[in-house]
Amino acid sequence: MSTVPLLELKGVVAGYGKMDVINDISIRVNQGEVVTLLGSNGVGKSTTLRTILAQTDLKKGEIKYNGENVTNFPTYRIAALGISYCPEGREIFSNLTTKENLQAGAYLLKSREELEKNLDRVYSLFPILKERSNQIAESLSGGEQEMLAIGRSLMSSPNLMLLDEPSLGLAPQLVELIGTTLREINKAGVSILLIEQNAKLALEISNYGYLMRKGTIVLEGKAKDLVTDERVKEIYLGIVKV
Amino acid sequence: MNYFLQQVINALGWGSILAILAAGYTMTFGIIGLVNFAHGEVFMAGAFAAYFILTVFELPFWLGVIACLAGSVIIGLIIERIAFKPVRGAGLITLFITSLGASIAVRNSTVIAFSDRLRSFVFPEFLKGIYQFGGLMIQKKVLVIFLVTVAICAVLLYLVKKTKVGIAMRSISYNSRMAESLGINSEKIIIITFIISSALAGIAALLWGVLFGSIQASMGALAVVNAFIACVVGGVGNVFGAMVSGYILGVGGALFIAFLPPDLVGLRPLFVWIVFFILLILKPSGLFRANIR
Repeated sequence: MSTVPLLELKGVVAGYGKMDVINDISIRVNQGEVVTLLGSNGVGKSTTLRTILAQTDLKKGEIKYNGENVTNFPTYRIAALGISYCPEGREIFSNLTTKENLQAGAYLLKSREELEKNLDRVYSLFPILKERSNQIAESLSGGEQEMLAIGRSLMSSPNLMLLDEPSLGLAPQLVELIGTTLREINKAGVSILLIEQNAKLALEISNYGYLMRKGTIVLEGKAKDLVTDERVKEIYLGIVKV
Repeated sequence: MNYFLQQVINALGWGSILAILAAGYTMTFGIIGLVNFAHGEVFMAGAFAAYFILTVFELPFWLGVIACLAGSVIIGLIIERIAFKPVRGAGLITLFITSLGASIAVRNSTVIAFSDRLRSFVFPEFLKGIYQFGGLMIQKKVLVIFLVTVAICAVLLYLVKKTKVGIAMRSISYNSRMAESLGINSEKIIIITFIISSALAGIAALLWGVLFGSIQASMGALAVVNAFIACVVGGVGNVFGAMVSGYILGVGGALFIAFLPPDLVGLRPLFVWIVFFILLILKPSGLFRANIR
């Protein structure tokens, strides 16, 4: 294929301080795709996302966005490229109200109309947030906070969303809702790079997947092929190979 | 009752100055965890700038207003650049110590250059005089200071609560890494915060000159301790809380000595510490909620 991928990591080595967490990671996300990073806890999935956001120490390799080398961009400029981030553990601003959290997410927008439009869109995806709009965010329930974190990352009209464990610790019907929402977001043209402990959900909504182990990629392929792969099952479904 | 009300009115001037100082103090404390003891020197710099314009060169009052703002903002930004930026993220204690160092350096160089004598501060005639309401009196300048302060507080609250920059400040104060990943350039917002905080100190300095009619090189020392306590009492980073606490300490201090026997008037400075210690025991997080709100 000759098309330039939306996001491309080439041979990235990164970690915190002297410790390398990910080693020689190469990933591509094409425009309009949902790509998922699979792997058990502590293999470097979150570190990979944080590396894209320039929040780790990158030792080697390249990060390209739309063909442009963005390896040494500071975090806020990465965001300005159209990449939004929904971190594990939500990291909402507890001292702000629900609406102010969403406004913070819209920091990069230039026009008031676009802000209002995105606000309406988030409120229609998650009507509960509208009810809670003037409530201090720390008073929201876990599920509402997750919706707020996803909503906040939608407010900047992103082109690519990095989502870290959006369904972690949520009740099953909420997990379902998050899955449907992500599909809707993707259908609207937003590409997604997803980390998700719920492999079934992740592979259902993804086009492509990477399996990580000990900081490297050990397997990659189309989502529908990965579903049936023994190594993927082994990690997620608790099936022990005899 | 009249005596009580009269004391409250008299204290409004000092309370206003404290409110403005504390509001500026709490913003930098809230956003980068800076216990800024150099804030008093930023304040003093504004007072000196206005003093030179108004008393020494006898220029019009509006130039004095510009001078106090410019003097404070310039010194504030220089201190930020030299003392705080190199140790950004180093933690509360490091920042506290560098601020103390900056404070000592600026204050003592000023004392060496200009001595610490009281200098009379010239202000225009329209601020002189007294209004009478029934049995109560209020000095014209106290009324003006109070009204100016209320207006400034309203503008500042609007800025922090409603504007994009205000929301960015508050999100950085809670989690700067997350704020950055939303596209907020925290370095830029921190500089803006310093400019606003210093400008507030400049205004407070001008009001001080008008209220007391004199300034001196060490004027920041007392002011900054009071502002710090008002900031903690109000809940660190809470702009509204800092303003209210400024008035509580200013007015409370006046009432405290008003009802003490005359030979104990020397205990005046004790008041803020009493409030401070009672608060630390009963409600260490402050009267209002912490983090910039």
